[in-house]
Amino acid sequence: MGGAAQAAPLPTEGAARRSWRYARQTGGVLFSVALTFLGLTCVTFFVGRIIPIDPVLAIVGDKASRETYERVRIEIGLDQPIPVQYWRYLMKVLHGEFGTSLITAHPVLQDLLRVFPATLELAFLALFIGIVCGVPLGVFAAINRGRWQDQLIRFASLLGYSMPVFWLGLIGLLLFYAKLGWVEGPGRLDVSFDDIVPTVTGMITIDSLIAGEDEVFWNAFWHLVLPASILGYLSLAYVARMTRSFMLSQLSQEYVLATLAKGLSPFRVVWIHALGNAWVQLVTVIALTFGSLLEGAVLTETVFAWPGLGLYMKNSLFNADLNAVLGGTMLVGIVYIGLNMLSDLIYPLVDPRARK
Amino acid sequence: MRRIFGTAVAAGLLLASSAMAGTPRDALVMAWNLDALITFDPAQIAEVNGNDIIRNVCEPMVNYDLKETSKIVPSTAASWTVSDDGLTLTFKLRPDLKFPSGKKAKAQDAAWSLQRAVYLGFGNAANITEWGFTKDNVAEKITAVDDTTLLVKLDRPYPVGLLLSAMFASGTTAILDREEGTKAAKITDGKSDYGNAAFKTNPVCVGPYRVTRWQTNDVVVLERNDNYWGEKAKIRRVIIRHVPESGAERLLLEQGDIDVARLLNTDDLIALEKNPAVHIEQTVMHGYGYLSFNGLDPILGKPLVREAFRYLIDYDGLGKTILKYQGAPRASLVPEGAFGALDHAAGQPFRLDLERAKALITEAGFPNGFTKKYIVSANNISPQIAQHVQANAAKIGITLQLEQMADAQLFTRARAREFDVLQIGWGAGYPDAHSMISRHAVNPDNRVEAKLAQYPSWRSSWIDETINAKADAAKMERDPEKRIAAYHEIQQFMMHNGPMAYINQTIRTIAVRKEIKDFAITPFNVAYATAGK
Repeated sequence: MGGAAQAAPLPTEGAARRSWRYARQTGGVLFSVALTFLGLTCVTFFVGRIIPIDPVLAIVGDKASRETYERVRIEIGLDQPIPVQYWRYLMKVLHGEFGTSLITAHPVLQDLLRVFPATLELAFLALFIGIVCGVPLGVFAAINRGRWQDQLIRFASLLGYSMPVFWLGLIGLLLFYAKLGWVEGPGRLDVSFDDIVPTVTGMITIDSLIAGEDEVFWNAFWHLVLPASILGYLSLAYVARMTRSFMLSQLSQEYVLATLAKGLSPFRVVWIHALGNAWVQLVTVIALTFGSLLEGAVLTETVFAWPGLGLYMKNSLFNADLNAVLGGTMLVGIVYIGLNMLSDLIYPLVDPRARK
Repeated sequence: MRRIFGTAVAAGLLLASSAMAGTPRDALVMAWNLDALITFDPAQIAEVNGNDIIRNVCEPMVNYDLKETSKIVPSTAASWTVSDDGLTLTFKLRPDLKFPSGKKAKAQDAAWSLQRAVYLGFGNAANITEWGFTKDNVAEKITAVDDTTLLVKLDRPYPVGLLLSAMFASGTTAILDREEGTKAAKITDGKSDYGNAAFKTNPVCVGPYRVTRWQTNDVVVLERNDNYWGEKAKIRRVIIRHVPESGAERLLLEQGDIDVARLLNTDDLIALEKNPAVHIEQTVMHGYGYLSFNGLDPILGKPLVREAFRYLIDYDGLGKTILKYQGAPRASLVPEGAFGALDHAAGQPFRLDLERAKALITEAGFPNGFTKKYIVSANNISPQIAQHVQANAAKIGITLQLEQMADAQLFTRARAREFDVLQIGWGAGYPDAHSMISRHAVNPDNRVEAKLAQYPSWRSSWIDETINAKADAAKMERDPEKRIAAYHEIQQFMMHNGPMAYINQTIRTIAVRKEIKDFAITPFNVAYATAGK
């Protein structure tokens, strides 16, 4: 009895400790997220202010008079010292306001919500292609290490790394759109399909399915498939090389020999056990690949006239539209942080040790 | 499995090919680079694309004739009269002017539109303020007498032809809906934006089309204005897609997925030249590509050195190679086709002559050459032209260190006088010699603190009081023959003594599908409304 009475507080203490630990962990995550954002805004803001491009000229034009120039400069707050400008910007961001784009005259958030789904749609399909093709190719190369299959896959991966995406995009368009007619050309839709589907997610393929517009879906899909394949090839190249490397490391482990000695089939050993362990590292690689697809699609979006985040950021940067650049950078930062957190959540699913 | 895959691919290809049936019959589809498009407010537009589009949406009070650019024809103003003393202009507006909603457009709207352009004070306001109107006097000087009569009081008796061309044919005189603008006006710190934020995306004015959709970096859609007073546009919709890459535009045009390609480089144009489904339209614009020399530099400040640079430009060679489809060689600062311009031969007297150039820099005191920085845009053919000048300069001992940059950075450096040699462009606002001379030859105040960056002459730190006086006299000369003679004299002087070396007049080249008829392009107007299929 007495023992029971003494034992009773223990779970409470444990729960309290656990709560305290979770609180500390959550606090730590929030602190690091806040710090990351602060760093992100700080670096982007100050870099944006020292680049030799004048945002006032984007508004008033090259031929504007001194009076007009000065008036607009004051209106957009550039007459203030840079730390004051930064402080004002930070306060606005804390209130959920990213300012107005100098170029589009829309709130930056509204612009980002419009352009981001286009990039997301492209990146999802590209990543899908990258994983579905890249992982098996990497495994295949690893189990054929040094043979011609391995050399071929490594060469193809190297090409993916080295070929300028701009050139690859144009060649792809010339071959698959102009010569063979297998896919649709630049843009997200043919003009005859514009404005048919109401915007729900901003991803036309999804929205057309929701609206039950099959024709629009197929048109959007055939517009999407080439740029996504080009981007997918780039991610495939990276994923395949990394998979090969992780698999080579796994295949040299003793447990592989042990499981083979126990009589398990080589297929099971490679594809279930070794690849299963390689997934732990691959999750991070895939998360980072996805992040780089979102921010690095500028050239693909230019060639394919794809109105996404990359094109928006490029145009904003060249016109010194700093609110838009900062907003876009924050969005990419959020995505990276989100992806990191997501990969942290996925670790326990692929690695039982992480569940403890 | 293989059969299912094959069927899926075949079905997909069928769907894909079925969609490749060209553009809709009731739509004119264009591809262009819309990067620089930031507004549709006529009082604010300062770039080529916006001007091109807005002239199909918001008509100015008078217009340039589509066939003869230097001729002024009525537009929303049906007629005009000038008082004997030349100080009052009276415009009679058309009685049947309507906004797209069907509401009548009146002289009161016209007066308000002109006044707000001055109050807003964007770069375009200069089209009005140059003629004596200020924020303080514009409300008194531009007034509506009744619904169709607009009275304009001038401070000086300017030649009416010049005034119509420079001010009333500019997009700044488009008639906007005063009621809409007042209703949508945003007040910040007690100051109104006169509907600028609203008109930026949706200008409510009088013209053959209206803007129905604009998504930056994506698309602009115009719909026919059925309440337009003139001949209705033949094609109901104009869709302008943002395609920032020349190769992609060419493929879209060849496949029939667009009707007009607006941004094509020389290689793509040469390829399209052989395509029977496409025809290429060109017009020589009133814009320039030119070199500007910093007059504060002890070497470049010498006229002999600047003259030497003019002999380093192979005008003929450039015209046949790099400038093909892109520019027409010309050394005079007034574009051919403008009122008061030197003729073709007199406007381009220079030839590549390295010996002459060497002799000139030797005479200037630099027989061993010198080294200078040369800034240039990284866009289009600019770097190729810069390399051409650099290579020729090197042959006479001048080392030019090229620095390529984005246009926005180039403009910033130019306006801050931060350059030795600058290669840049400039577009004349109207087809009269005054347009270029008033900015490139005239410099009202050369002091640094004057910051007159809207004057390329100031950017080059160059001033000549005699030229200032001669330009003003020419501006006020009401005898056309005498005005032409005065402008010829200024051009001749500037061609040898000015701070710029003009390289070429720009050419607007457009590739159009054969099925598109009557797509009219001129230096100041591209008329979408006349086009038909």
